[in-house]
Amino acid sequence: MRIVIAEDDSLLREGLALLLKAEGLDVVATVANAPDFLAAVDEHGPDLAIVDVRMPPTNTDEGIVAAVEARRRQSGLAVLVLSAYVEQAFATELFTTGGSGLGYLLKERVGRVEEFLDVLRRVAGGGTAIDPEVVAQLMVRPDNRLERLSARERDVLALMAEGLGNSAIAARLVVTDGAVHKHIRSIFAKLDLAPTDSADRRVTAVLRYLKARTGAR
Amino acid sequence: MSTRYVVGRARAVLDALEHLAGGLGTALFAVAVLAWLLVTVALCLVGVGFLLLPTALRMVRAVADRERARLSRWGPEIIGPGPVRGLRDPALRRELGWLLCHASLGFLLGATALTLPIDVLHDASFPLWWQLVPPSAAMPAQGFFPATDWSGAFLVCLIGLAALVITIVVLPPMAWLQAWPGIRLLSPDRGADLALRVAQLTATRAAALDAHAAELRRIERSLHDGTQNRLVAVTVLIGAAQRALDRDPLVSKEILDRAQDAAEQALAELRGVVRSILPPVLADRSLPDALTSLAAACPVTCRLDADVADRCAVSVEATAYFVVAEALTNVARHSRATAATISLRRQENRLCVEVTDDGAGGASEQDGSGLSGIRRRVEAHDGAFALTSPVGGPTVLTVSLPCGL
Repeated sequence: MRIVIAEDDSLLREGLALLLKAEGLDVVATVANAPDFLAAVDEHGPDLAIVDVRMPPTNTDEGIVAAVEARRRQSGLAVLVLSAYVEQAFATELFTTGGSGLGYLLKERVGRVEEFLDVLRRVAGGGTAIDPEVVAQLMVRPDNRLERLSARERDVLALMAEGLGNSAIAARLVVTDGAVHKHIRSIFAKLDLAPTDSADRRVTAVLRYLKARTGAR
Repeated sequence: MSTRYVVGRARAVLDALEHLAGGLGTALFAVAVLAWLLVTVALCLVGVGFLLLPTALRMVRAVADRERARLSRWGPEIIGPGPVRGLRDPALRRELGWLLCHASLGFLLGATALTLPIDVLHDASFPLWWQLVPPSAAMPAQGFFPATDWSGAFLVCLIGLAALVITIVVLPPMAWLQAWPGIRLLSPDRGADLALRVAQLTATRAAALDAHAAELRRIERSLHDGTQNRLVAVTVLIGAAQRALDRDPLVSKEILDRAQDAAEQALAELRGVVRSILPPVLADRSLPDALTSLAAACPVTCRLDADVADRCAVSVEATAYFVVAEALTNVARHSRATAATISLRRQENRLCVEVTDDGAGGASEQDGSGLSGIRRRVEAHDGAFALTSPVGGPTVLTVSLPCGL
């Protein structure tokens, strides 16, 4: 897996590169700002880009703008967006327009190396990863239909929204794949969503549902 | 008589002299404007004057505003009424009264005040040089009698000492008398005063809230982009070290060392952020102590001249600290100065801060150097902010804040 890292904080940039290289991943370039990032993408044609949201000069959303531009130039480029803080409003904006191969995580998730590597593989493989914090923000608002879900179904919904596949959800909740499958069918029925087995299309559906709900309030 | 009393008295006399000299300056303007006004009125008799009248009235307002600014530097701020609104403008009538007073009495007081010290010097030093001048010129400055022998010369010296005592006694009341018509007549009358005050407070309150929001944003930035990034780096490095532990313990030790460095950096940055919010030394010790550490940290050689015995309100001291911190940042970044001086004084119920540097000058509020931030913070406290920075230097930043206690 060929990776480009865009992060303006040098310590963090080098730390991330060190970690990924030690895991045998191929970090082809590390850059500190948006123009360098776009140049690196053009030059190396990576499989995955890890991008910090806030970068100079304005330290607002350079990273997102650059990531969108990079995906326009190289379709199929998987992008994992890292941020010091996450907002559901931002996430839903990113994912409902975004398509596949996208991730949005809090920076400190990198420290849980095993899970982080899972996320990298999933996003690089065209899947989706959404920070649990975002999912929690989306699920706090009370809603009649959400309340119809059982506690276990809500757990499954949250993990589904994070972008996990059936077997990953099963492993996380320590149940069988079949049980997860049953829960998901039940959730989709209770929320009036068209059932689908593709994990990323499922994320989009769930996000649309949650977004429409928060947007309506 | 303690030295403290003597120093205090000397400072009062010198201050009075400075006031009177400044007053003489505006009085000269007042004389010129009064003369022009009289010419204009005379010309009105033949009709042409009516065309010149608005200009003449604007000049009256201009010289009055100058006096307002001068008086505001010494005492409570006097707010001007804005542009002239025709002959019916009530403020204008009061200004005309002041113009008459200041062009006559104010001018006289200023001129007298300046000759008094010269006369004192003349008389007191008389025995040293009276023999060198022609006998017709050898007399006291006041011209009572010609001095023809040594006893006469020493008598003149005594007159000089008496004049010194008189000068010391009369200068402060003279300064007060010169300023009084301005304070009475140039202050807005009560109703207008309150309306202006409300408008000004509304503006400064908005500025205070802006400054507050900007400050919160700055703190948020430095926490997110500094401290938090360091801590994320720590977790990343610890994660990497854990993974390396099984493969190669030596590598994992190296990574842990880097994690420790990152953690220490996080602590240092956190300290910096905390200090920039409210330096602990300011709360625990005093403003001069806090300014000492600022001055010491400044890359430009910095001298601190602080003479304040009492504490002010916490927010006032914090603002004074912020002003000096910003000013020194500017000095270090933009001025190319070799030396800077911070002066801190308490003048009655105002805290006065002055930061001077010998740099290239040419500083302005428009160049994003943080000066507008200083102004907002100061005005939010109802304080006064002034900057003089001619190209070539020196740059002097003056701020005075009501102490609030």
